[in-house]
Amino acid sequence: MKLSLGSLYRPSRFPLLLKSYPISRSRRSFCVSSLSSPETSLKPQIPLFLRPPIYSTTLSDLRKWHDWAESLASSVGSTFEKSDNGPDSSLLCRELKWLLEDAVEDHTLVSQMGVENDRRVRMRAHVDELYNLWKQRIQERRPFQYVVGCEHWRDLVLSVQEGVLIPRPETERIVDFVSDVVSKDQELKRGVWADLGTGSGALGIGISRILGSEGRVIATDLSRVAIAVASYNVHRYGLKDIIEIREGSWFEPLKGLEGKLAGLVSNPPYIPSKDISGLQAEVGRHEPRVALDGGVDGMDALLHLCDGAALMLKPGGFFAFETNGEQHCRALVDYMENNKSGSFCNFEIIPDFAGIERFVTGFHGKAI
Amino acid sequence: MGCSQEGEVEAKKEEKIKLGREKASIASYCAAAVSEEHDSLAPSFARVPLGMVFATQIRFWGSQAAPEQSTSDGLTVDGILASNWTILDENEGDWKSHATAVAQSIHLIKRRLQWRKLIVRLNMLSAELNKPDLWDDPVHAGKISREHGSLQGKMKEVNALEQELLEHIDMIKLAREENDEDLESESVKALLNMRRNSKEKELEALLAGEQDLYSCYIEVQAGAGGTESMDWAAMVMQMYKSWAQRRGYKVTVVEEMPGEIAGIKRATIKVDGDYAFGYAKAEVGVHRLVRISPFDSNKRRHTSFAAVAVTPILGDASAHVQINESDLRIERFRSGGPGGQHANTTESAVRIVHIPTGITATCQNERSQHQNKASAMAVLQSRLDQLEMARQAHLNAQHTQSLTDITWGSQIRSYVLHPYRMVKDLRTNYEVSDPDSVLEGDLDGFILSYLSACLDKDEDGA
Repeated sequence: MKLSLGSLYRPSRFPLLLKSYPISRSRRSFCVSSLSSPETSLKPQIPLFLRPPIYSTTLSDLRKWHDWAESLASSVGSTFEKSDNGPDSSLLCRELKWLLEDAVEDHTLVSQMGVENDRRVRMRAHVDELYNLWKQRIQERRPFQYVVGCEHWRDLVLSVQEGVLIPRPETERIVDFVSDVVSKDQELKRGVWADLGTGSGALGIGISRILGSEGRVIATDLSRVAIAVASYNVHRYGLKDIIEIREGSWFEPLKGLEGKLAGLVSNPPYIPSKDISGLQAEVGRHEPRVALDGGVDGMDALLHLCDGAALMLKPGGFFAFETNGEQHCRALVDYMENNKSGSFCNFEIIPDFAGIERFVTGFHGKAI
Repeated sequence: MGCSQEGEVEAKKEEKIKLGREKASIASYCAAAVSEEHDSLAPSFARVPLGMVFATQIRFWGSQAAPEQSTSDGLTVDGILASNWTILDENEGDWKSHATAVAQSIHLIKRRLQWRKLIVRLNMLSAELNKPDLWDDPVHAGKISREHGSLQGKMKEVNALEQELLEHIDMIKLAREENDEDLESESVKALLNMRRNSKEKELEALLAGEQDLYSCYIEVQAGAGGTESMDWAAMVMQMYKSWAQRRGYKVTVVEEMPGEIAGIKRATIKVDGDYAFGYAKAEVGVHRLVRISPFDSNKRRHTSFAAVAVTPILGDASAHVQINESDLRIERFRSGGPGGQHANTTESAVRIVHIPTGITATCQNERSQHQNKASAMAVLQSRLDQLEMARQAHLNAQHTQSLTDITWGSQIRSYVLHPYRMVKDLRTNYEVSDPDSVLEGDLDGFILSYLSACLDKDEDGA
C-alpha cells in the first residue's frame, strides 16, 4: 500500500481504503470466512499452506469437491478472458491443483483421489471451507493468491491478504537489477537500501537476501495491513536483523538519511485513474486501489519518488522503479534529465519478459 | 554346533589364502617390474594393485598389458568357457556348472562394457593423464580423470570377478586333493552365490554408459494428424509417467502444451532417480499407433505418431556448457494487455531462446516466474549439454553411440490396437500381445531387450 497524497489510513470495517471508492462493489461477505482476521487487531493471516492440518476428510469427499470445483472452472471457458483478460478454464484448473496442494497435508495422496475410497486425509482447511473458497474464486473473482493467502514470488512464498497488493511477476526483475549492481560494487552492497511502498514486503525481502548479512534495508508503507503482512513475511524468512519495516508515506519514515541511501527501489501505484474502472475483476474489485491508482496520468507517485531520490541517494547510489510502460519510462527519464539535471546519470529503460518497457534504473550523479 | 566347525573351515581357508598371498605378492612384484618397461604405453596398469592374485602366470598382450588370470594349474576364464561344461540347474551342486555360468556372465559383462574398446580408451586416457601440461586446462583435466576413474573402476570390478571365480576353483581343487569336504562344500556354495549375483551384474553392465546414471527429461511431441495424434502423444506421456512411478522415480511435469480438443501437442517431464537416463534412452524415437479413432465418427482406422526425446541431466556442474546471458532471449509464454499492476495472473510461464543455436526451453508449471525461469534454464542447459556431447561424439569416433543422438530418430515401435492387438519393437522384434499393460507403463521388457540387443550384438566388443 502506498499513498503519496498524505491521506490518512482510516480504519474501516474491511481492511483498507476500498470503502472510500465507489468502485468497490462487493461488500465481500466472504471475509467472514476463517481466512480473514479481525481488522482491528491487524494480526496477519496465516497462509493456507502453513496452517496446522487439524481437519480431515475422506478421499472420496475430497474428490467430490474436486470434481465440483473442476466443472465450475470449466464452465468459465474463456468468458473472463474475453471480458477483462481474466483467467480461462485451463488456468483456473491449474490454480485448483495448487489449492489442493496447499490444503492437503500429504500431496502424494491426491493422486489416489481417482480411486473411490474411505481413506482419510489430513487437511489444513475444512472441506466446507474449500467449497466456499472456490466459489469466491469463480463467482466473486477473488484473486487466487488471496484465496490461499500466499503468492509464490521469486524463490519466496509470501503471505498476502486483502489490503495488500499481490506482488507481480514483473517486479521480480528489480531484484535481479539490484543483484547485478551490487555484484559490481561492494560498497553499495554494504549500504542502506530502501523499498518504498513495500506492500507484502516482496522487494525489501528479495533485496535483503541479495545483500546478505552486511546489508541493511528499510521498507516503508502507509498501510497498517501492509506493515503487519510485511513484518510477518520478514519474520518468516528470518531477516529481522537486515530489514526494518517502518510505517509512513514514502520518504517520511526516512528522515535523517538524506544523502545516505545506497539504493532505492519501488513499485509505486502507476495506473492512470481513468483506467481503474476497466481493470480485470481480480484487480479492480479486490486489490487496494491505493496501491494501484497513480493519479491522472499515473505519474504522481513516480515523480514524487524521483524528487525524493535526488535528495536521499548518496553519490553513486542506485535506483530502480517499475512503471506503467513505455510512456512512463520515457516521461520519467525526461523529467529527471530536465528537472533534475545533473542529479542522475546512466539511465536505463528495461523491458519486462513480455517485452513492455517497464523499468527505469539509474544512478545518483557524483556531484549533488 | 556349526559354529566351531565353520570356524575351523575359516581358519583353514585363511591359511591357504595366506599361502596364496605370498605367491601373489611375488607375482605382482613381477608384474610391476615387467610393466615398468611398458610404462609409456600402459602406465595405468602398473598402478592397478593386483591384490590377492592367486595366479602365477601372467601374460602381456603387447601394449595392452592386461594380465590374464588363471588358476594354479593354468585354467583361465576363457578356458572354462572353451571346456563347454554343461550348465545344470542352480540346485545341482556341480561346481563346473556354476563356474561355467559365472564365466558366461563375465563374458557377457565384458561384451556389454565393450571390453576391448574400454581398454584402448583407458590406455588413451592414461597417456593423456600423464601429460605434464594436463592441468593447464582444469576443466578438461577433470573430465579426463573422471572418465579414467570410472573406466578403471569398471575394469577392476570385472577383474575382481574373474579373480574370485578362479580362487574358488583353486580352493575346490585344493580341497579335493586334501579330501577336505567342508572346504569343498564351502567353496561350491561361494561359487553358487557368485552365480546368483552375476545376473544382477549383467544387468548393471547394460547401464554402464557415461550418462546412464543420471536423471533425465523425457519429451513427447505429437506427430502430424491433429487431435488423433495429440491424444496419442498424451497416451505416450502417460505411459512414461506410469513407468517412471513404477520404478520409483520422481516425476515432475516441466511443460505441457495441451491440444485444442484433446491430448497434448508437446510435453516434458523430469524423471529423477538413479539410471533414469540409462533406461529411458532406449525409448528415443517415433512411436506409432494403429487404432479405431475415438475422434472419428465414421469409426475408421487411424495411424498416428508421437516422437520421444530423452535428455540426460548431468550431475556434474563442471561438465556443463557455459551459457552467456547475452545469448538468451527470455519471453513470457502468454502475454497480452498492459501487464504489471493491471493484471492479476497465476500464469508465469517463461520461454528461453538460446539465440546462437535456436534451442528453446519452456517451463510453466512452477508457481513463480523466477522458478519457471530457473526450471527452463535447467532444461536449456541439458539440451545444450546434449548438443555438445553429440558434437564431441562426432569428433571422438571411439565414443559414438547412437543412443545419445539428439535427433528424434526414426520409428522404433508399433502399438496396434486394431484389427489385432500387439506392441512390437521394430529394433529388436520384441513383442507383447497386451498393449494395455504396456500403455500402463510395463516397458521394462522392451527397454532391457533393446539395451542388451544393442550391446550384445557388438561382436568385437568382448
